[in-house]
Amino acid sequence: MNPAPSNDNPFAGDNSGIQQRETAARWALRVGSYIVVIITLAIMLHIFVKGAPVVFRSEWPFVNTQFLTELPATLHVIEDQEGHHIETDVNGADAVKKKLGDDFRSEKTISYSGGGILGPIVGTALLVIVSVGVALFLGVACAIYLSEYAKHGKFLEMVRLAILNLAGVPSVVFGLFGLGAFVLTAPTFVDVPAERSVFSIPLGFTTLSFEGWDTCVLSGGFTLAFVILPVIITASEQCLQAVPQGFRETSMALGATRWQTIRYSVLPFATPGILTSSILGIARAAGETAPIMFTAALAFKDKLPWQKDLPPLPADASIFAHWEQSVSRFLGIFTESVQALPYHIYTLAAKIPQNEYAERAQYGSVFVFLVLVAALAASSVLLRKRLRAKYRW
Amino acid sequence: MFSTAGFCLISGEQASRRMNSLPTPSRPPLRSVLLRSRKRTILGLDPQKLIKYFFGSNASVAIIVLVLIMVFLLREGIDFLPTYQRELQTYRRAGLEFCDIIDKPLQRNQALSSSLRQAVGASLETLSKQARDRRDAAFLLKRQVEDKSARPRESLRQALEKTPPAPDQIEVLRAELAVASTAAAKALKYPAFFSAAEVEQMQREFSALTPEVTDLPPLLLILVEEFTVKDREARTQFAELVTAQEEFEEAAEPLQEVLDELKAKALETKEKAVEFEVLEINRQRLLEAAATETDPKEKASLTKEAEESVSEAVNLEESIKEITGRTAELREQVEKYAVVIEKAAAVLPKDAGTGAARKMVNEVREKIPEHAREMRAASATLEDWRWDKPVSIFRVIGAFFFGTQWITNSSWQDFYGFVPLLTGSLVIAAIAILIATPVSVVAAIYTNQFASEREKELIKPVIEFIQAIPSVVLGFIGISLVGDLIKDFSEWSWLQWVPGFPIQERLNMFNAGCLLAFMAVPTMFSLSEDALNNVPRAYIDASDALGATKLQTVFRVIVPAGISGILSAILLGLGRVVGETMVVLLVAGNRIAIPDFSAGPGVIFQPAHTLTGIIAQELGEVSRGSSHWQALFMVGIVLFAISLLVNWCARAVARRFEPHKA
Repeated sequence: MNPAPSNDNPFAGDNSGIQQRETAARWALRVGSYIVVIITLAIMLHIFVKGAPVVFRSEWPFVNTQFLTELPATLHVIEDQEGHHIETDVNGADAVKKKLGDDFRSEKTISYSGGGILGPIVGTALLVIVSVGVALFLGVACAIYLSEYAKHGKFLEMVRLAILNLAGVPSVVFGLFGLGAFVLTAPTFVDVPAERSVFSIPLGFTTLSFEGWDTCVLSGGFTLAFVILPVIITASEQCLQAVPQGFRETSMALGATRWQTIRYSVLPFATPGILTSSILGIARAAGETAPIMFTAALAFKDKLPWQKDLPPLPADASIFAHWEQSVSRFLGIFTESVQALPYHIYTLAAKIPQNEYAERAQYGSVFVFLVLVAALAASSVLLRKRLRAKYRW
Repeated sequence: MFSTAGFCLISGEQASRRMNSLPTPSRPPLRSVLLRSRKRTILGLDPQKLIKYFFGSNASVAIIVLVLIMVFLLREGIDFLPTYQRELQTYRRAGLEFCDIIDKPLQRNQALSSSLRQAVGASLETLSKQARDRRDAAFLLKRQVEDKSARPRESLRQALEKTPPAPDQIEVLRAELAVASTAAAKALKYPAFFSAAEVEQMQREFSALTPEVTDLPPLLLILVEEFTVKDREARTQFAELVTAQEEFEEAAEPLQEVLDELKAKALETKEKAVEFEVLEINRQRLLEAAATETDPKEKASLTKEAEESVSEAVNLEESIKEITGRTAELREQVEKYAVVIEKAAAVLPKDAGTGAARKMVNEVREKIPEHAREMRAASATLEDWRWDKPVSIFRVIGAFFFGTQWITNSSWQDFYGFVPLLTGSLVIAAIAILIATPVSVVAAIYTNQFASEREKELIKPVIEFIQAIPSVVLGFIGISLVGDLIKDFSEWSWLQWVPGFPIQERLNMFNAGCLLAFMAVPTMFSLSEDALNNVPRAYIDASDALGATKLQTVFRVIVPAGISGILSAILLGLGRVVGETMVVLLVAGNRIAIPDFSAGPGVIFQPAHTLTGIIAQELGEVSRGSSHWQALFMVGIVLFAISLLVNWCARAVARRFEPHKA
């Protein structure tokens, strides 16, 4: 009488196209996402394939030590009558020419492409040290205020807005700011103020003159510090916020002051996180070019920052004189302009005619640079993972 | 407390005792010991407060830096407007503007005659192309043989020059050279348009090439002659076109001559005026120094120096009269020119050798009347031009923000027009956003909603890693890899329907846009993913409960709910793209001109310059305080304003579309 109850599952999926559409859409989305991944990996692979042969060698010590330990120099390529290409530097070129008795077919000189990239590496390291030092100090202090002290209000809102906007300022504008502020205006102690000094305060034994630091590591480092400041503040604040509220309450309940609470119950647990996150700041500072273009970087320099010619001391110089000279040598490191890796790459890519020799220097520098930056980024990610596993609240 | 503390450290103990002693003298001793405050005060503040203020002041660094950026940009840049105003004033007073009124439209003449020349060339080629190709190919082949046998040839030459000559050695070398040349001539690839006999002859002649014979081999002479004949033939056939083109080109000459004389005069006046200005400023400075100098001797010498440096002011009125006095002559020449080109347009033949050439000729014919009209209009405005009309500050602002020329280090006049840079920046940003938005939103949706845990662990770190790639490295990739890739693609025959293909320049806006898109992906991806993550769970559950499929839930519930976040992610990506420097500096091609939008969508394959790129490229080479320097800071001010605006928009959008948080 009643129609036989259907055995079909009423909840079974309706196969009339919906599922196919679903699968198709899923695949479209998947392909879209993987395109980015593939392009990234392809670029990495390209740089690796072209750059690794420059840096690595097939025989002992497997690394092109010359490339990593020498300063950039002009490359001379001499082609002799048999068509052999002899690559050498300036002095080598003279020797080769003498040996060949000026009987060679052509000589090419390629700027910046010979030697190695030690100068740029050292310069970038110095810039990073200064900038991260400054940015960590300011950034962590700011984050502590935001996370531990600030109450809702106008000031907090303004600070947050400023940080957001600071993060959006184009890097080349930071460069202009650094040029105007640090290179041309920052205060410094001099005996006689320069003409461009904005104003000067005589202090008796010396004068505090607002005439800038000139292009040097310090100017570049401070400029970079403000570029990465928003990154450091945001990361540090996240780390501070991640410390459970209970820690603070317990500490306060025991009668500790707020500073004691921060010092003993919050910072110890947040510091590892802050440091790992700031590694990303290091990577960013190392990679920026525009802010250091006018504030610190030089296209070419044939000396390391500490190889400065100071007048030789007399033989009977006192210990004090020696000490003074070492100090001024040390401080001199920061008041010299330097080569920097990103700027070196820019110079190689844009300022010199392209040929196979220039290309080799380019890919070598890019490879080393990318390996450094990638190592920093990867270590930051890995450390963060380990930290997360360690501090699970 | 304030009154007693002063600004030195005083013991807090004393202060608290004094305070405690007043209200409750009968406190139990133990309690008072326990609760006794051990606070010390500095400047009347207790350390807790001080610590708080220390951190607070650090927090205000962000605000201070933002303000300082503004202050320093303005300090260096704000003088730009008065400086530029002065420069434009000189430009007008010295009569350069007067010359430019005619000179600007006359530039059109060159464009038109170059397309006519192209048309003529193309027409002639229809007849003479093969002969020319044969001639050129033969010369090329000869050079290849010579290159390959360069070494023995060189040795032979040296041996021949040697005194006294060594006949034996020369013979040996001669044989060597003959062997080398023959081998080289054999190994050559001869194009198909040479007949077998010709190839044989060439091989024979090339094998016999020796350094002392400077005459061309006979076959080459024949080929040269062949081309000359063909060319003459072609020229007679297209005689009308050739003469029309020549006439058109010559038409501008008398006008140009008059104009050049005027320009030289104007330039001379301007240089004098500028020189006078510099001297005057110098003198003012000396006088100022003299005024502040205390030593009477020094003072006297400074004053004397200042007095000596007084130079004669340039009489602008005199020299401008020399220029404006010839207005009538100039107008007459313009009129003559207009008549001549109109005549040339009339005799311009309808036909040309090829379709493209015909199109070009027709275009020129259509444009000539317009050009003549322009010239006449310009000549009419000469009458109204006044040399002493002041340049208002609004004109200067307009000249900067709406100026279409950015010309620096020019011997004529520097112009700082903002439009070419802005267009470049905007077009590149638009390309980048159009590419990056779909990719990053799709990736965000997929990772957030569909991807398995393992996929997430691959996709997320890789995309986040992009952020760590320095921009200069990406720029380098654009030069070394992407540029060549795009160029190769553009030469594929089945892609020729794409507008702008095959491309001319490896470095162009599209290339830069692609790389910037790649750079913007991580920002847009993570922000969009956050936005999707923030969609309340209840929305999804409700959608599921109503029986929606996953796809429906995603596209009808989750994405609309997260749209505010996605939009603000796109805007922040835009901010990043507009502000990016190194990639555009290296890859965009750095041609300071407004892209030619008449090319349609193919415009994206043209090179351009950008706001950020121009600062990075030119600031290193200008002297501080010059108008160029100030102009670059002005560009920086605009960039800064754009970044603030974009940020503000992103926040506004994020707030505007957030119903579920309300």
